[in-house]
Amino acid sequence: MTAPVPYDPELVPGLEAFLDLVEIIPLRADTILANRAHFATVIPPIDVQAEGRPVTWENRTVPGPVGAPDVEITVVRPQRPASVPAPAVLSIHGGGMVLGTRFFGTGELIDLAERHGVIGVAVEYRLAPEHPGPAQAEDCYAALEWMAAHAEELGIDTERIIASGMSAGGGLSAAVALMARDRSGPRLAGQLLGCPMLDDRNETVSSRQYDGFGAWDRNNNDTAWTAIAGAGRFRDDLSPYVAPARAQDLSGLAPAFIEVGAAETFRDEAVDYALRIWATGGQAELHVWAGGYHGFTGFSPDADVSRAANAARESWLRRVLRLGG
Amino acid sequence: MTITERPPFDPEVQAVLDELAKSPQPPLTRETLPREGSDRMFPDNDSVIAGRAIDWEDRVIPGPAGGPDIEITIFRPRGREDETLPGFVNIHGGGMIVGHRSWETARVVDIVDQHRVVAVNVEYRLAPEDPFPAGVEDCYAAFVWTHENAASLGIDPERIVVGGGSAGGGLTAAVALMARDRRGPAMAGQLLLCPMIDNTNTTVSSFQYDGIGTWQREMNLLAWSCVLGDDLAFSVDAPAYAAASRAADVSGLPPAYIEVGEAEAFRDEDTEYALRIWATGGQAELHVWGGGAHGFDMYMPDAEITRAALAARASWLRRTWGAGR
Repeated sequence: MTAPVPYDPELVPGLEAFLDLVEIIPLRADTILANRAHFATVIPPIDVQAEGRPVTWENRTVPGPVGAPDVEITVVRPQRPASVPAPAVLSIHGGGMVLGTRFFGTGELIDLAERHGVIGVAVEYRLAPEHPGPAQAEDCYAALEWMAAHAEELGIDTERIIASGMSAGGGLSAAVALMARDRSGPRLAGQLLGCPMLDDRNETVSSRQYDGFGAWDRNNNDTAWTAIAGAGRFRDDLSPYVAPARAQDLSGLAPAFIEVGAAETFRDEAVDYALRIWATGGQAELHVWAGGYHGFTGFSPDADVSRAANAARESWLRRVLRLGG
Repeated sequence: MTITERPPFDPEVQAVLDELAKSPQPPLTRETLPREGSDRMFPDNDSVIAGRAIDWEDRVIPGPAGGPDIEITIFRPRGREDETLPGFVNIHGGGMIVGHRSWETARVVDIVDQHRVVAVNVEYRLAPEDPFPAGVEDCYAAFVWTHENAASLGIDPERIVVGGGSAGGGLTAAVALMARDRRGPAMAGQLLLCPMIDNTNTTVSSFQYDGIGTWQREMNLLAWSCVLGDDLAFSVDAPAYAAASRAADVSGLPPAYIEVGEAEAFRDEDTEYALRIWATGGQAELHVWGGGAHGFDMYMPDAEITRAALAARASWLRRTWGAGR
């Protein structure tokens, strides 16, 4: 194993806080449930998240995929929409597809509603291993279809819907973009892939550089992929809706924004995904931030590199959602 | 081989390209490379400084062993003469076959103004009159001189960043390799803006932007022929100090900032260089801006992607110059 890319010193306190708060229990097959219970204590409820913010929110139940249960969502609406109809974001939460709830992603939606007048939908998708892939992506796609079908009621501009998420949510956003293309489904204006979890193989250089330390290290990733893909893992015929890196064809996708830390497991698979999109003539803006750990902008929001990363992401959102200003 | 599927230009970039196309320039050839008057094509230093509190001075410094002297221009924030400031050595672009340091006075002055650093803008010999290694040895000599004269220049020798765009980025990468290999002065960072580093012209992006955009494939082929001669021009046996992509070992280099447009020939070679640095455990930050043409920050100064790119670049410079203080 080669030496890892070092962390930005300004990020180290945030990394330590993340490890203490979120990853206190190493994720292994027999600790998934314990981690899930712990996660539930880490995520504040939506009424706390939204308190004092210029947004309204509402829980809804919408039809799930064919033959599957309904899907719960939370709609976050700005007091002042950017326009009528307004741009919209489908938020897909992180947690390795084995942990977390949609309220892991609602903080981002509240920020977007406040700053940009964007309407948000956070989707509760089924988790692995109880529900192997692609149940997660199918639930997310069902939520996207519902958004598009109810655009008028929601006040959403169907030309300006993006899928967005961090980590597992980034991987699922990529999967939803593949589904929307393959099924001639709702038109996505973009896919925002934050430190995305794309590849079940766990065999890149970066996946070996962060083994036994760091946020979402090689071992956590290994546990999650086995839970998601089961016997299908490492097989060339694994569905791209489970692991988007498995897609043979990355042409014709919605414009992607791919951001990742230089000091994390997912660095190389994220860069490879961008390279493959470009080779087809597709669009992908790629940012790999020096010394960034997995999800660094969330737990080190005041570091210079995090501020820069947030600014770059906002620039892309302005461009793809035509936010103006 | 021409690949017609390619990431499109950003709309603001395309608009400027359309304007440029209205006044077509004669194709660059070995016989018609502009020389006379190159130093008077752009506004003079005082016009660029435009009243900002920055002093400048032209100097002549010793060149590499056996080579002629080198002209430089030094820029310094006025009123900070008693302070030790970080240093910036700028290497201009132009394919190593055209250009003059005065073409980039604006970029250098902006950096001096924004970051309060002392800058040295370097004149180096151009090919084909002076093929490899004349130009890169000039640049290395200027870097060494800056380091050796740091005290009299008011520069902190531990905080010197070398940088440049296009050919200047490639030369910067080469100077970083030379400084490592020759156990030369410490370099705090290498600022590689759309760097020209791969002489083979074999990447997907090098074929995607054939006959389109700002720095086109034909120009790149001409440039490498002039620098390396016909035998080595596109060869994998070319020396690493000519084409940094040829370096067998990219470990132990100073932190790199690699910025490139998504819609340009150098996209893939620059991304690949970042991947190789990370694989050794080295630090690199990579930004591939959506729809950016080669040198978009120069050609399209008012585009949203330029504003965003300059902000990300400024963040890295702050982090790099601030480190260790």
